[in-house]
Amino acid sequence: MALEDYRSDMEMCCRCSICKFVPLEKLKEMRHSYVCPSIARYNYHTYSGGGRMGMGIAMLEKELEYDARLLDVVYNCQMCGACDISCKYAMDMEVLEPINEIRIKCVEDGHTVPALDKVINSLRKQGTMIAGSKDERGRWSEGLDVKDIAAQKAKVVYHAGCRVCYDEDAWQAARASVKLLKKAGVDVAIAGKNESCCGGRAYQMGYREDFLNQAKKNMELIKKSGAEILVTGCADCYHAFKVLYDKFDLKGDLEVLHVTEYLARLIAGGRLKPTRKVNIEVTYHDPCHLGRLGEPYIHWEGKPVPGHIRIFDPPKEFRRGTYGVYEPPRDVLRSVPGLKLVEMDRIKEYAWCCGAGGGVKETNPDFAAWTAAERIAEAESTGAGAIVTACPGCERNLKDAVRENGSTLRVYDIVELLEKAI
Amino acid sequence: MIAEDKLLKLVGAGNLDREPAALEEYSRDMSFVNAIKPGCVVRPRNTADIEKIVKLANETLTPLVPVSSGPPHFRGDTVPGIGGAVIVDLSGMKKIIRVDRANRVAMFEPGVTFSELIPAVAREGLRLNMPLLPRRSKSVAGSLLEREPVVMPKYHWDIGDPLACVEVIFGTGDMFRTGAAAGPGTLEEQWDAGGAQKEAAGPSAFSLYRVIQGAQGTMGIVTWASVRCELIPALEEPFLIGFSKLDKILEMVHWLIRLRLVNECFVLNKAGLAAIMAKKWPGDYREIKDILPPWVLFFNIAGYEYLAAERVSGQVADMTEVAQRVGLEPVRAIGEIPASEVLKTAQRPSGEPYWKLRNQGACHDIFFLTIYDNLPGIIDVMFDEAHAMGYPTSEMGIYLQPIVQGTNCHVEFNLFYEPENQGETARIKELSDRAVTSLMAEGAFFSRPYGTSARTIINRDAATVAALKKVKSVLDPGHIMNPGKLCF
Amino acid sequence: MALKRDLYKALEDVVGPENISEAPVILNSYAQRGRPRFEAVTLPHTTAEVQAIVRLCNRFGVQFKASSSGWGAYGDAGGPGVVKLDLRRMNRILEINEKNMYVVVEPYVIYAQLQAELMKRGLNCNITGAGSNCSALPLAAHQGIGHLSVSGSYGERNQLALEWVTPEGDIVRAGSLGLIGQWWCGDGPGPSLRGIIRGNVMPLGGLGVYTRAAQKIYHWPGPATFPIEGVSPYYRPGRIPPGFMIRYISFPSPEKLNQAAQKVGESEIGFILMGFNPGMISANIATNNNEDLAYMKQFTDSVQGPGFLIIMAGNSPNDTEYKRKTLQKIMEDFNGKPLEAVEDPENAGGFMWRFIRVTSSIREVARASGIFAGEVGGTDVFYLMHQYILRSAPVKQRYIDEGKLLADGTDPFVQSVEHGHAGHAELLIRFNKQDPESMKVAAEIGRFANKTAVEGHFGVPGHVWGDAAHDQYGPHTSDYHLWLRKFKKTFDPKGASESTNYITADD
Repeated sequence: MALEDYRSDMEMCCRCSICKFVPLEKLKEMRHSYVCPSIARYNYHTYSGGGRMGMGIAMLEKELEYDARLLDVVYNCQMCGACDISCKYAMDMEVLEPINEIRIKCVEDGHTVPALDKVINSLRKQGTMIAGSKDERGRWSEGLDVKDIAAQKAKVVYHAGCRVCYDEDAWQAARASVKLLKKAGVDVAIAGKNESCCGGRAYQMGYREDFLNQAKKNMELIKKSGAEILVTGCADCYHAFKVLYDKFDLKGDLEVLHVTEYLARLIAGGRLKPTRKVNIEVTYHDPCHLGRLGEPYIHWEGKPVPGHIRIFDPPKEFRRGTYGVYEPPRDVLRSVPGLKLVEMDRIKEYAWCCGAGGGVKETNPDFAAWTAAERIAEAESTGAGAIVTACPGCERNLKDAVRENGSTLRVYDIVELLEKAI
Repeated sequence: MIAEDKLLKLVGAGNLDREPAALEEYSRDMSFVNAIKPGCVVRPRNTADIEKIVKLANETLTPLVPVSSGPPHFRGDTVPGIGGAVIVDLSGMKKIIRVDRANRVAMFEPGVTFSELIPAVAREGLRLNMPLLPRRSKSVAGSLLEREPVVMPKYHWDIGDPLACVEVIFGTGDMFRTGAAAGPGTLEEQWDAGGAQKEAAGPSAFSLYRVIQGAQGTMGIVTWASVRCELIPALEEPFLIGFSKLDKILEMVHWLIRLRLVNECFVLNKAGLAAIMAKKWPGDYREIKDILPPWVLFFNIAGYEYLAAERVSGQVADMTEVAQRVGLEPVRAIGEIPASEVLKTAQRPSGEPYWKLRNQGACHDIFFLTIYDNLPGIIDVMFDEAHAMGYPTSEMGIYLQPIVQGTNCHVEFNLFYEPENQGETARIKELSDRAVTSLMAEGAFFSRPYGTSARTIINRDAATVAALKKVKSVLDPGHIMNPGKLCF
Repeated sequence: MALKRDLYKALEDVVGPENISEAPVILNSYAQRGRPRFEAVTLPHTTAEVQAIVRLCNRFGVQFKASSSGWGAYGDAGGPGVVKLDLRRMNRILEINEKNMYVVVEPYVIYAQLQAELMKRGLNCNITGAGSNCSALPLAAHQGIGHLSVSGSYGERNQLALEWVTPEGDIVRAGSLGLIGQWWCGDGPGPSLRGIIRGNVMPLGGLGVYTRAAQKIYHWPGPATFPIEGVSPYYRPGRIPPGFMIRYISFPSPEKLNQAAQKVGESEIGFILMGFNPGMISANIATNNNEDLAYMKQFTDSVQGPGFLIIMAGNSPNDTEYKRKTLQKIMEDFNGKPLEAVEDPENAGGFMWRFIRVTSSIREVARASGIFAGEVGGTDVFYLMHQYILRSAPVKQRYIDEGKLLADGTDPFVQSVEHGHAGHAELLIRFNKQDPESMKVAAEIGRFANKTAVEGHFGVPGHVWGDAAHDQYGPHTSDYHLWLRKFKKTFDPKGASESTNYITADD
């Protein structure tokens, strides 16, 4: 697909602005009513989902040049998909897809930003989008008694992801994930230093070819391993394997699960028994790529039906965030004795982004921090002492914000809390 | 000065007054404005007459002062502000043009009084949302144009209500119809299509009726008006609540209106209610006043065509629950005053003499808008001012009328006094002037400034004055319409 | 035509460099496709900044146009040389006064935000029919009539005090605001300036900038938050709050509908009364266009004629019972037939909340093809407004038969205002905007609508704006266009307030 393929979607935008807000049926009060960090921060309509639709058309019509402001608009977006979901409450049109295609077009036309080029160089050279060397990739699993996918066959492969591999703060959750899976009798292996980036964030940044290279490489490794299930604790990786690889017909029959999905199944099946009390009041942050963007990809090929209403032959089903992964993480939390879960105002399909996505943490750390600070404040407003999530990328950005703002909120990964209960 | 021979030719001798005695009647009223004699009084018969009068006045820049009610007048707005004015007395234009049951609207000329219009609309099962006991000679159109408060806040959606449309001759001499009446089409053509000259706003992107209301005749002369009507209830149950303090009363009022439980709803102090209900003076008045509590809330619950009894009984039950929550007791009568009699009284104009004059012969009203929050402070301030001027607060009538569905509250202090007593008259005037400033500081909004303090009030807001002058420059560039009023 | 540098610099000094832009990518997003772009977009934060911008525009001889949520095409520039004021940084609720039933907002509070805050306090507001994604300033919407108007009136009449930056850059605080600094009355002293700043439609950017305004609010008998469950787009309440009831009732003829609507008004039982047609009901409930078409067929086959949707909300069990019984009687008296799909417990709550929160107008007007047009009546007596739109029904049908419009029925959409004291009606058409024949139809229906209003004496419709339209209607309508033009000239001598969609001072 290319941006041109989304022309008629972009033309459907009527400038109603619901892309800026949480679904209006759900809006409970004045604060926490915005869902798009970009418009909330930068104010010009251009920064909203709707503004980007108009921008895309103008780019196709060559009415806009690649100047600093255009790139500022393009890259100051976490690709969180909230605009897409809010829009699709009422409209039958793609929003996030053309926004992504705008980025791809920018890269193809040679207009990128240095910070992202740096990240992609690291990907190309070291197989990681978080700074670090290939050789160090497996350090997080040192001492972990687990199969090596390169040497042994296993039914399940645990994909750690770049953030885990190169951020020591994220090791505990990853290690705990593997231990819990093993404890539950799961035949699990890891790729260790042979693991390579899923490529998902590269795609979000617009580097489609790099993404495809990574995808092909990873699927080769997985096929060779014979693994039937891939499980990961990172939402970006989850989205990459489950949705993007499928989109490009690379996933095959591989079942992709987030670790919380797998753990929820194991708990429900009695194979893991959380019995130890963990007295804590938490609020849960839905990672964008696990929640609203985590629902399966829908393959569709067809044509618009001529007429005065936008329908297709065959009928096109839009991904509207309805089937994202919302309950399994909550089920895991609810299974922990003594744990009290209180919800924020912006949750599930209309959760506020942590701020890190889409390359923003690299291109504009201030914006990433601002977005996270908003989320921290929202978490604090629930009265909970901790915010828990299911993605190391979210955890990193939220932890950074907690530190910068002097908050006393603790940040956990779900698995860390579950581990305490078992 | 307008050529009187041309006026004579236009309206005929019977409709033009130049005798000193006749002019004297229009040169003063019961307010404290300076007496200024008009040049003559003309009584037009129809719109065409008025159009011509205004055009003639423009030729010589002769001031015109429109009057639609009969005497006595109280506000000073119908007394010329400068000499040589022509009084345009519309009180003889008494046609009731149309009453439309289906669309709940009636259309009539400016001389039609409440006494005349009420039975006309009643024949169609309609009623007016009217002010509290207007005087017999009060013009309905005049009342509507003055934005007088009305007794049924539930049906008072907007401060301009219940005025619908008007036909007006602007100071330029041009005829204009506001709202739906503007057109397209003549009135008859609009009626044929199903129109009823009911929608006040417009046409299109302005609502000129709003700049005619409150203008005290400074923008033009209204030749007919239409008024939104309500239905005559099939069943009514009125109540009274008496209490020593205002806070609970206001809480009750707030909920009665907010829950749309009541039609008529207003609050009077004992002096005010006694003045209204007394039949014999001074005996009745004192007796009634003595048994009344300091504050009395009156309200009426009504049902209409569908399930009237069930509706009323349900609303009475709901009202009772509100009263219990607030800590008040609704009753059917206080002493010898049944609520039903207050209702009957409030649904008619005042008998003669006008109720405000029965007490001591004259009455000066200080009135303004405010909100419930401001009321306690406002009443305190007024009492302080009255004490300072030696006016007994126990004799002051106080009328609180929630309007605009409870968003605003009209407050009216009735200062009864003996007009022959010069000293007292002077004190009342001084009290009025002083009180205006202190009341504004407490949150009184003199939205309808009249008389001697009008200029002081209105000139406090320079930006509004500048804007109003711009409006005036469009509608009456010759400044012939009632000069000397407001900021003009 | 770029702004003169000294003007740009001066504007930058007013709002700060990050709050003004003339970057093409920014300007592009503020113009509908094919429309002129603004020369710069400013994001003022305060009334003082708005005033400063307006004064600068006057001084430098450029035009300005303000907007809040910016949905309407009339927010666009009419031509070159216009500066945009995007008011989204003015987004506060300034006061909610429960006892005195009013609220004060800045332009970029949207109605969903306002209603949510009000509901927490047992209060409610009328929301403009376009949706709760629109500005809660009662002066922002084109008309401001909404779903609640039967019990909650509309913009022109809910308006209280306001703050207005005039086209010349003066600040006028109308009503009690100017005299005593309080927000609860918009009229006086003396004549009311509300009469100049709007009619039943707004000047659409052509008469300065409204920076803050107060409006009436109403009682809300429902819960502090509506119990909505589910994941988008399948929202519905877990239960319908007590006292709430929804029905869609069709009638054998427009006359019976009118009569029933009149009785609903006179008995004061309606909380929401909207004369939707099956096409709008289907668009409202459907979560995609295919579903829309299926529902449209189902609902069209299930109704006997034109109908209205009514939501009742009882303030007490007594009130609820009275309203329920009265509606039943009215239905019997006028041969009304309920559409069961609406009151089906599976659907009722979802419908109810979408109408109360006004979230699905976008589905009704935009999902089909991204564009809509038609006829927008004014406000006038219900019967007249209904009749006006009925005239256009055969015209719409003809174009449907010719394949130039979406076949979504021809029943007008009618609304009751203030318990039937007034009404409003519209004819909605949806079509493929890439089809030039369909675009011609939109223009043709507009021409027919204007001809009908003038020759049929149906008042001045809401879709009348701009010099040409005013000049067409004015001579038949008390020459209002001449007066409107005079006011424009008087208040905007330099023509600084861009008024393509209002009226210009050009004779």
